[in-house]
Amino acid sequence: MAERHSPLATHYARGLHGCPGEPGVRLLEVPELTLYQVATWPETLPQAGAFVAQCIGAGVAPASGETVIGTKGSALRVEPLKWWILDTPIPALPAETGATLDLSHSRSRIRVQGSEAATCLNRLAPIDLRDGSFAVGRVASSGIHHVGVTIWRSAAGYELFLPRGFALSLWEILTETAEQFGLEIT
Amino acid sequence: MTARRLPNSGHIDRTQALSFTWDGEPLKGYAGDTLASALLANNQQVLGRSFKYHRPRGLMSAGVEESGALVTVGQGARRDANVRATTQELYHGLVAQGQNAWPSVRLDVGAVNGLFGRFFSAGFYYKTFMGLPPFEWGRGTGMWMRYEKIIRKAAGMGKASRAPDPDPYEHAHAYCELLVVGSGPAGRAAALSAAQAGLDVVLVEQDAVLGGDSLSQPQARADLAQEIKTLSTAGVRLMPRTTAFGLYDGGVAGLLERVTDHVATPAPWMPRQRFWTLRAQYTVVAAGALERHVAFGNNDRPGVMTANSARIYLNRFGIRGGEDILIATNNDSAYSCAQNLAQAGAHIKLIDARDTVPRQLRAQAEQSGIALHTGMAPLNALGTKGVTAVELAQGNPGNWRQAGVVECDLALISGGWSPIVNLLSHRGIQPVWDAQQACFLPAPTTEPLALAGSAAGIWDQAACVRSGQAATQCALAHLAGQPVPKADQPSGGWEGAITPLYEVSVPRRNPKAFVDPQHDVTTEDIRLAHREGYVSVEHLKRYTTLGMATDQGKMGNIIGLALMAQALGKEIPEVGTTTFRPPYTPISIGALKGRNIGGHFRPLRRTPLHDWNLKQGGTMTMAGLWHRPWYFAGTGETIGDAYVREAETVRRTVGLCDVTSLGKIAIQGPDATELLNRVYSNPFAKLPVGKARYGIMLRDDGFVMDDGTSWRLGETEYFMTTTTAHAGKVMAFLEELLQTRWSNLRVHVTSVSEQWAGVAVAGPLSRQVLESCTEDPGCVADSTLPFMGVLETTLKGGIPCRIARISFSGERAFEVYVPSDFGPTVMQALWDSARPLRGCLYGLEALGALRIEKGHVTGAELDGRVTVEDAGLGRMASDKKSYIGSALRKRPDMTRKNRPRLVGIFPRDRREIFNAGSLLCAADHVEGYGEGWITAVTHSPALGHWIGLGFINGGYGEWQNREVIAADPLRKGNTGVEIVSPHMFDADGERVYG
Repeated sequence: MAERHSPLATHYARGLHGCPGEPGVRLLEVPELTLYQVATWPETLPQAGAFVAQCIGAGVAPASGETVIGTKGSALRVEPLKWWILDTPIPALPAETGATLDLSHSRSRIRVQGSEAATCLNRLAPIDLRDGSFAVGRVASSGIHHVGVTIWRSAAGYELFLPRGFALSLWEILTETAEQFGLEIT
Repeated sequence: MTARRLPNSGHIDRTQALSFTWDGEPLKGYAGDTLASALLANNQQVLGRSFKYHRPRGLMSAGVEESGALVTVGQGARRDANVRATTQELYHGLVAQGQNAWPSVRLDVGAVNGLFGRFFSAGFYYKTFMGLPPFEWGRGTGMWMRYEKIIRKAAGMGKASRAPDPDPYEHAHAYCELLVVGSGPAGRAAALSAAQAGLDVVLVEQDAVLGGDSLSQPQARADLAQEIKTLSTAGVRLMPRTTAFGLYDGGVAGLLERVTDHVATPAPWMPRQRFWTLRAQYTVVAAGALERHVAFGNNDRPGVMTANSARIYLNRFGIRGGEDILIATNNDSAYSCAQNLAQAGAHIKLIDARDTVPRQLRAQAEQSGIALHTGMAPLNALGTKGVTAVELAQGNPGNWRQAGVVECDLALISGGWSPIVNLLSHRGIQPVWDAQQACFLPAPTTEPLALAGSAAGIWDQAACVRSGQAATQCALAHLAGQPVPKADQPSGGWEGAITPLYEVSVPRRNPKAFVDPQHDVTTEDIRLAHREGYVSVEHLKRYTTLGMATDQGKMGNIIGLALMAQALGKEIPEVGTTTFRPPYTPISIGALKGRNIGGHFRPLRRTPLHDWNLKQGGTMTMAGLWHRPWYFAGTGETIGDAYVREAETVRRTVGLCDVTSLGKIAIQGPDATELLNRVYSNPFAKLPVGKARYGIMLRDDGFVMDDGTSWRLGETEYFMTTTTAHAGKVMAFLEELLQTRWSNLRVHVTSVSEQWAGVAVAGPLSRQVLESCTEDPGCVADSTLPFMGVLETTLKGGIPCRIARISFSGERAFEVYVPSDFGPTVMQALWDSARPLRGCLYGLEALGALRIEKGHVTGAELDGRVTVEDAGLGRMASDKKSYIGSALRKRPDMTRKNRPRLVGIFPRDRREIFNAGSLLCAADHVEGYGEGWITAVTHSPALGHWIGLGFINGGYGEWQNREVIAADPLRKGNTGVEIVSPHMFDADGERVYG
C-alpha cells in the first residue's frame, strides 16, 4: 500500500516551543488513523450495538457520549445512532441493521496532553472539560475556530479529531495558543 | 494640591521602585502603584484637558469611573489613547503623556475655547452650522456637509497608533457553579462560604489586587493576604485583572482579563488580553458602589475628587493628597475618610449639607481635631490649574446662600453612593429608586443571580459580609432546585440619613458646574435641553452627550437625572434611568477578535493536493474557505495566457484538475433511493448500480438550490457530489429532512468531503492517462465504463479509488476519487502519465472557461433566483413524481414565459470584450435594470473570442437576431452583443463520448 500523507507534515515541528521550562502542553499527531463509522436505525440499535462490541472485542458497546475500549479497538458513541470505531477495520453491516463507512482519511487525530491541556483546549473550544463534566472516556462534539471537531478524553489525554482539510489551520492556531503554557510537539 | 507619599503605609511594594515618564519627565513610583497614584505621589496635578473647553483636569477618582485623568500610554504601535490613569498599573519603563492638548496639558493653547464656553452649549454645532443663517435660511444643509468634515476632525480625544496592533489576543471559555463578581468583603464572603459548601467558584476582580474596599481600609495588609490565601485553599478560582463586563442569557458572563497590560516587555507567546465566555449556574454580583460628585461651580478643577478616592490613595497607596483639605459630604461615609486623613497629618475642614449629624460621628470628628460645619456645601472652587480655595454655601438643598471662602489644596466631595447595578441592567432588570438611600437599587429578579454588599445598597461592612453569605445560600438553594430565600440584609447602614444633594448654586452666580465632566456636560446644558423641550432621559442623553464616552454615565447620570426631574417638576423615578448596556468598561477591538485575525481571519481549508499544487507552480484562489488552484502559469505567462493554454490543452490532449473541494456525501440505507427521488427534481428510482446521474435539487419554494451527481455504488448506497459553494447547505438540508420531515426513512447521510481527494482527468486522451494508473487498464474502456458509468477499482500501489465517467468540460472526462492521504501519490502518478501526452494541469480559471463554452451552470448562475426552467434544465423537472419544490415551482410567476432564461452571449464585434455583471438591455432602451444580466465571461479558446453566460427575459428565442447592449455604466460602458444558445461549443455533446 502507498504511503499516507499527513496534512500536518509540512508544519509539524517537533521540539519545544514558546514559554521555556517544563511544557504544560504536549501535542502529538497520532498517524495512520483507522476510523470507521457504524450507523444504525432506532429499531436495530441492540443488534448494531452487539456488532460494535464484537468489532472492538468488548462485552458491550458504549452509551451516548461514552467510549468503550476493547481488545481490538475502541468505540466512541458520537451520536445516538452512530459509533466511531478506532484502530480496527470492520466488516460491512447488513443494510437492514445499519451501515458502515470508512472515514479513516477524513480526520486528523491530535492528542493533547500535559497539565495545562484542558486549559489550553478551553482557549479554543466552548466545552466544559472539568473532571466532573468530562471524565476520562467521555466523547463530545465541539468547535474550534468555527470548525466542528470531535473530542475524546482518553487515558492518554484529549484526542481531537479534526476535519482533514481544516487540520493544518487548526493545528496552527492550537500551537500558537499552546505556546503560552510551554509547548512540546512530540 | 500638595500631595506626598507617606512613609510605611499602603499596599505597595516599596522594595521595587519603578521608573516611568510622564510627558517626557522621568518619575518614580512603586510596584503596586497605578499610574494615577504614581502621578499623585509625584504631585502632578494637571493630567488632562477636557473634551470641549480644554479645561485642565486632574484626578477625580481612583477607579474605573475616572473622567479627568484620561491619558495616552505606550509608544509606537502600542500607543493607547484614553487610558484611565486610575486603572493602569505602573510598570518599569511605562511612557505616558497627556492628550487633547498642545503643547502640553499644563499649557494648552486649546484652552482658548473656554473663553467662548457660553456659546458651546448642547447642540452647538448642529444649531450653528446646519442651515447656516443667513446663507442657508430655508435651503437645507449643504454647507453642513463641508463643515462636518472639519468639525469631525477636531473631535476626539487622543490619538491611537495607526500601526497594526503587535499584540496577540485570545478567547477563552470557562464553567463554574458560582461566579462572584467583586472581591470586596461581600464578594469574598460569598466565595468562601460557597467554596466551603462544595461549590465550584470563580471570583473575578477588575483590579490587579484582590480586596475591593478592604484595600482602602487602614487595617494591616496581612489580614487581607491571609483571607485571599484561604479563598485559594478552599478551591476558589481567583481571577484578578478581570472585568465582568456583561451578563447574558443562560448564565453567560463576558469577562475581560488584562493579561500583560501591566508588563513592560510581554513575552511574545502571551496574549495582551483574554476575552472569556464564562458559563455559571449562579452569579453573585458584589461589584460595589461608586461615590457621586456634586455639581457646583468649577467642580472639575484639579484637586477636586471624591472623598473615597482620597481614602484609597491614602490607605492603599500611602499618599496623602493634600495638606489643607476640605471635605464636603451629605452622608456618613466621608467621616472615616476625614478621620484617616486627619490621622495622616492633614488639616481637615469637614462640611456636611445635613443640619444634624449623628452624635457619634460628631464626637469622632472632634476627637480627631476636625472642624465640622453642618448645613453647608461647596459653591465654587477657586484656582486655575489646581484648587486653592472653595467658596461655600449655607442653607439646604434648593435654598443656598453664599457663606464665605475656605482655603484648601484638596477638595473632597461625597454626594452619596450609586450601587453598581449595571450587570443586572444587562439582564433587563430595571433598577428601582430608593429615596431613603438616594440611589437606584436592584429590583427583585427570578434570574439565577443575587446582589451582595454595597451593590445592594448595604453600607455597613459587617452587613456586607452577611449579605455575601446570604447570597451563597440563594445560590445553594437554586442549585438544589429549592425555593430561593429572600435577601435578609436590608439596604442602608448609616447612622444618619443621607440628604440628597446633586447641585449647589445661588442666584446670580453662574459658574460652570459639571454634571458629566468627560464630555463637558454642565448643569446649564441639562436645563437648556429642558427649555428646548426634551422630556425623555434617552433624548436628553443623546442631545447633551450625558453619560457617553468611557465612563458611560458612572459619574454624572444620577445628577443629570435629578436636574432633569427638578426641571420637569417630577421625582427621579418618574424621569427614569438610562439602560446600562455591555460593556461595563471599554473593551479593545483586539480582544473581541481574539486570534481570528490575519491568516486566522477565517479557517483555511486545504485540499490533500494543496502542497502538491503549490510545488507545480499553482497560484491559489479562495473558493469559500477552500484554497483551490486558480491557474498554473508557465514561465512568463500571465493569468490570461495560462488559462487559455490550459483550456486549449484540455480540448486537445488532457488536463488534470484538483476538484477535491466539491461536496461529497455518503447516502446509506434501505431508503436511500427513496430519499434521492424525493430531493432531486429528476427521477432516481431506476438508476442502476454502477451508474451516475446528474441531478437538480430545488428548495421548498421551487427555486434551484444546487446541482450535482449521485453515483449508485450499491443497492443501498450512493455517493453524492455537490457544488463547492453549496456542500454545507445541501448536507444540512438533507439532515433536516431526515430528522424532521422524513424520520421514518432509514437513511444516514454523512459528509465524506474530507475523506476523498478528487481529480478531474479531462480531454481526448484522458482514458490513456487512467489506463496507465489503474491496476486493470481495461476497467476504463468504453465498454466497461461508458459515459455516466461508475467504477470502484484499484490504482497501482493498491490504492482504492472511485471513478465516474462524467464531464464538466464537455470532453471525454473522468472524476477520480481516492482516500485523501493518498491524494499526492495519485496525483503524481496521473501527472507522470499525462505529461508525456502533452497534457497540463489546469485550475479554476480554465475550468470556468471550459464550462462557459458548454453552457454548464455553477453558483454564479444558481444564485437562488433561478428556476430549473430558467437554467435551461426544464427537462430535468419531473411532472410524474412529487419532490421538494415540485408544487411551488408551478406558481404563476415561476412559469411565466418571459422569465429571465439562461443564454449564451457573443460580442457583436468579435474583437470586443465585456464584463460579468453587465446588464443586458435592448439596444433602443439602455435604461434601468434592463432585460437581463451577465453572470460569467471568458475568452473562449475554442471559439477564438470573448463569450459569456447570462439571463435575459424570454431567453434565446425572444432575443435571437435582435440588437442587445451589455451595459456596464460604472466600468466599461456599452458593448453590442448577440444572444446565442448557451451551448456555445459542441452543442450536440459528441465530444464526451470521445
